[in-house]
Amino acid sequence: MQQKILIVDDDPDIRQALKLRLRANHFDTVHAVDGYSAIAQAYKEHPDLIILDLGLPAGDGYVVLDRLQRDDRLSNIPVVVLTARDPQSSELRAVRAGAAAFFQKPADNVELLAVIRATLPRVPQPVPLPS
Amino acid sequence: MSDRSTRVLLIEDNPGDADLIRLRLVESSSPVDVSCARRLSEGLESISQMRPSVVLLDLNLPDSQGAETFRKVLAKAPDVPVVILSGQDDEALAIKALHQGAQDYLVKGAFGRGELDRAMRHAMERQALLRSLDMSRKQQLEFKNRFLSHVSHELRTPLTCIHQFVTILLDGLAGEINPEQREHLNTVFRSVNQLGAMVRDLLEASRAESGKIRIERRCVSISDLMHAAVGMMQAIADDKGVGLEMSVDGDIPYVHGDPDRILEVLINLIDNGIKFTPENGKVTVQAARVQADPDFVFVSVVDTGCGISPESRSLIFERLYQESGAIDDGRKGLGLGLYISKELVDLHGGQLWVASEPGQGSTFSFTLPLYQLEKLLAPVITSEGRLRSNLMLIRVDLRPNAQPPRATWKEVCRECLELLSHCVQPDRDLVLPPMAAAGAEQSFFIAASTDAAGAEVMAARIREQMEKMPELAASGTANASAFPVSIAEVDSSSPLSQKVQAVAARMSTMMRNSSTVAARHK
Repeated sequence: MQQKILIVDDDPDIRQALKLRLRANHFDTVHAVDGYSAIAQAYKEHPDLIILDLGLPAGDGYVVLDRLQRDDRLSNIPVVVLTARDPQSSELRAVRAGAAAFFQKPADNVELLAVIRATLPRVPQPVPLPS
Repeated sequence: MSDRSTRVLLIEDNPGDADLIRLRLVESSSPVDVSCARRLSEGLESISQMRPSVVLLDLNLPDSQGAETFRKVLAKAPDVPVVILSGQDDEALAIKALHQGAQDYLVKGAFGRGELDRAMRHAMERQALLRSLDMSRKQQLEFKNRFLSHVSHELRTPLTCIHQFVTILLDGLAGEINPEQREHLNTVFRSVNQLGAMVRDLLEASRAESGKIRIERRCVSISDLMHAAVGMMQAIADDKGVGLEMSVDGDIPYVHGDPDRILEVLINLIDNGIKFTPENGKVTVQAARVQADPDFVFVSVVDTGCGISPESRSLIFERLYQESGAIDDGRKGLGLGLYISKELVDLHGGQLWVASEPGQGSTFSFTLPLYQLEKLLAPVITSEGRLRSNLMLIRVDLRPNAQPPRATWKEVCRECLELLSHCVQPDRDLVLPPMAAAGAEQSFFIAASTDAAGAEVMAARIREQMEKMPELAASGTANASAFPVSIAEVDSSSPLSQKVQAVAARMSTMMRNSSTVAARHK
């Protein structure tokens, strides 16, 4: 079964580019455009990994990371942060909030894919739906 | 004391002069609070206690004479306006003080009430004006930096888009492309990378200007960094048909610096060298020690390019300066590379300069301080100039359980170092610069002026502090252990510098023998 990646970015072109890139590498993709729908999608789609922008409407990336961490059903989904923000001020904060990796845009595709593959859980674990 | 009254501090040792001036001040039309001091030491104390609105200062006092008096007042209270009270025979001294920042001067015995009032008022007005000028300069700088950081952030999103879609096309994810299309797309790809580098430089230059660049000093092998830089630039040199070589003295010692920043400087200088060197030319990277300056390593990037005219030589390190004549496709950068490089070398305590003649090529050289344990060991020497009798080496090992990205470990290491610096006594103990590149499985060392029992307590405290760090709690462990450094063996009759050298050598051996460090240095 293909592993599923949730792409969270408010820029439609970047979502589209990531989708093409990931699908070409045999991943299934779903997407969210803001913080709120990111959480909703995480519950609904049980992604194996989340690519998360930090600057988002309706709850920025840190809020999303925090929400994911607080829920046992979501806290085991690895999150790769992909943001235009400066790593000097954002990286440690993101990692502390639970991010598994941090990339500044524009990121090198080879490196990004390598980290995604290394970060993905070996055996996909289904996330139960919220009751 | 009312808020509206002017608080005047009169520093004058002659009682007759002081009484006269005080009388004039009391007669003054606006409310005045006067305090008097007869000695500079008293005056300086009053400055910090009463925060005067203006200081009237006699330059010749029992405990300080001449220009020195004003300098001391200025150092104590740079924001307080000062009016100099000068004798008739030392007006020249007062004028000199004006050049140094005093607001006005009055010749004693030659001014009436109105003049004293006016001098004080103007002094305060001018000082307020200076302050607001300074403030708006700072605001402007702050605004500019915020603007640059905002712009470079906003530029990244469209940049990412172009980057992503060009690579999608180049990688054939949207169908086959023919060789001509590939060539055009490669041009776009190169340009977008260039744009990305410019955005990075913009942010970096604004950081340099506002003093926000952080450097993380370690014990670094300069030849490793030169190998890395040459390796990264080889393809670009090959493309242009320019030779790229390096030569390093065999016994080049370690330097004390930030490896990422030094690499940045090397890449920048090599990139410039290639840019200004014609086909079949050569760029050489060298490192050597020079007798004249034994505490530094000299690194040079020598090219056989077009050279730099004497007029340009003083300008090339300025921001936004662009030299024409690149053997390139005529494309220029932002003119920030050398500016940033110079700032980075300055931060290390080194120097960056150029020697060049038009048509003869250029040599960019910079110096970096050596990693010298004996120089760093000052805190373990007592104020009487003796080595402390007890010395322990405490080793702190970080071990990750997970594998987070490298850059994150750099941050974690930085935080650990900061935490360690809070665990030691500043004038007795010393956190030594790390011996290896920041990464997982990092070891830190502390030279502590204490005995075995004290070191155990310190190690326990460090372990406890480390456990509070979220990264380590989540994904790693820290272990601290202490080892005695025997000083007894050092010949007691030898001079201090030799003793320190012997201790430093012993410590170096202990640090290098530590297994993690040895592994990292391979």
